[in-house]
Amino acid sequence: MITQKLNDQITRIGPNTPAGAVHRHYWQPAALSDEVTNDEPLVPVNLLGERLVLMRGASGDLVLTARVASPDEAPTHHPAPEDIRVVDGAPIYPVVEKNGIMFAYLGGGEPPAFPNFDCFRAPESHVFAFKGLWECNWLQALEIGIDPGHASFLHRFLQDEDPSDSYGKQFRDMAADTNMPITQVLREYPRPDINVDETPFGLKITSLRHMTNGLTHVRVTNQIFPSAICIPMSREMIITQWHVPIDDENCYWFTMFTSFQNPVDKEIMRAQRLKEHSLPDYAPLKNRSNNYNYDPEEQKTKTYTGMGLDINVHDQWAVESMGAIQDRTREHLGRGDAAIVRYRLMLRKAIKAVETGKLERLPMQDRQETPQIIGPLSNDAIADSEDWLAASQRSDMQRRTACPWDATV
Amino acid sequence: MSQTMRTEASPTTWVKIASAEALQGTRPVAAVTAFGQDLVLFRDEEGQLGLIGRYCPHRGADLCFGRHEDNGLRCPFHGWHFDRSGQCTEQPAEPEDSTMYKAIRLPSYTVIEQNGDILAWFGEGSAPAIENNDESNQSLPKGPNA
Repeated sequence: MITQKLNDQITRIGPNTPAGAVHRHYWQPAALSDEVTNDEPLVPVNLLGERLVLMRGASGDLVLTARVASPDEAPTHHPAPEDIRVVDGAPIYPVVEKNGIMFAYLGGGEPPAFPNFDCFRAPESHVFAFKGLWECNWLQALEIGIDPGHASFLHRFLQDEDPSDSYGKQFRDMAADTNMPITQVLREYPRPDINVDETPFGLKITSLRHMTNGLTHVRVTNQIFPSAICIPMSREMIITQWHVPIDDENCYWFTMFTSFQNPVDKEIMRAQRLKEHSLPDYAPLKNRSNNYNYDPEEQKTKTYTGMGLDINVHDQWAVESMGAIQDRTREHLGRGDAAIVRYRLMLRKAIKAVETGKLERLPMQDRQETPQIIGPLSNDAIADSEDWLAASQRSDMQRRTACPWDATV
Repeated sequence: MSQTMRTEASPTTWVKIASAEALQGTRPVAAVTAFGQDLVLFRDEEGQLGLIGRYCPHRGADLCFGRHEDNGLRCPFHGWHFDRSGQCTEQPAEPEDSTMYKAIRLPSYTVIEQNGDILAWFGEGSAPAIENNDESNQSLPKGPNA
């Protein structure tokens, strides 16, 4: 449990808020490249409580700047280009395109460098980007991503699917080196030991599920400061996902799916996701207004939630059902929430660092060191319990070595 | 979410919160809002009614979508299980040796079914005997706290 004052401090992100100031020291996903459909774009962007437009600046580069907005427009309001009016004299924010996402920097001063994560250094052919709306505060959206225990429950399938039909979906692969679908591992071993380590980019989260026969399932996921995670999706792909505030009560997930071996089949990936969202605001078709297609009969026999097989919908339900901003004055965190506790400490330290002008204490602000940050390791492995650390690294190295692009770490 | 303490004066009579029809069907679980509180009403496998706080005390997920099993409601987020008194009985994602669940209890209210209505007692102290016009149901209320 935390106080209301602290909950406000770590969740609210508008201009002139403490957590908003931290976010403004980092590049933020502002739009998909897919949204920029012509050479002279005017794409509305709703980001960090600001009403913006992505357009060409005086130099010909893409920039973000303020657009005229009325206070009663919807959080994801998406006016047509002819209805967009640029605010004269508003700040001009720089934009950089990286593998399908337009990143913007809304802070003052010189923007930080990009880290050399796999999603940024992989060739364009090996990365697919998409986004989707969740109607809740960004922090609860992030916190489900640094909570390794929930996958054993929220995403439980009472029967396992055939992993050969799993392309582009989470948790459908076989656990490395076994014939066990990951879904079965998660279901049968629901109490992971969770280790959390601070890293130059955020947190490394190691979940150990000790199985029978002296084997351990090792799942390594990461928190990338301030609002992203990097997690394995399958043996072929990892997910790097930002939870970007639209305003205090809405956020977009922006995901870069990065493939090690083969190019990503973007048509399949895009079609799978477009089928579940409506444009132009990328709102999910399953949502609070239709109870996420909740089916009590399915909940009894097939899935833990009764909300279908798409785990993204399960996550969306979990975080939206908490309310627009989770009331953390009533929460009761357990040992399974170790990474959440650690992350909040990190965020509070960052808030303090910004308030006291000690920006060098923020992760990834050093322009020389940040480009040296590679990886991070995101991997599922099953190993001898004695040897899990080395085995997890070995399994990650195998796919990096076989990879056609430079994925060395 | 709001499981806020009620500020209105406590009622001195039983209050109708739902009709019994709300719990018909294969999954007897229904959302109830009363006196500014968000609650979930359900019938357990012993046939008893429970009226407990709607949001999981762990991280606030909505128990109206809970799994109706093991004589109570189970949160789909991490499997925390609650009985009709609001007591947490299991935290299956926590380490085996954890006893944290013993200290976790949702608010709960005494409930009774009468003449096709479901009534709850939100007043101070224990629930009074009910004025009972239903000859088929003469027993005193048996709520989760009784």
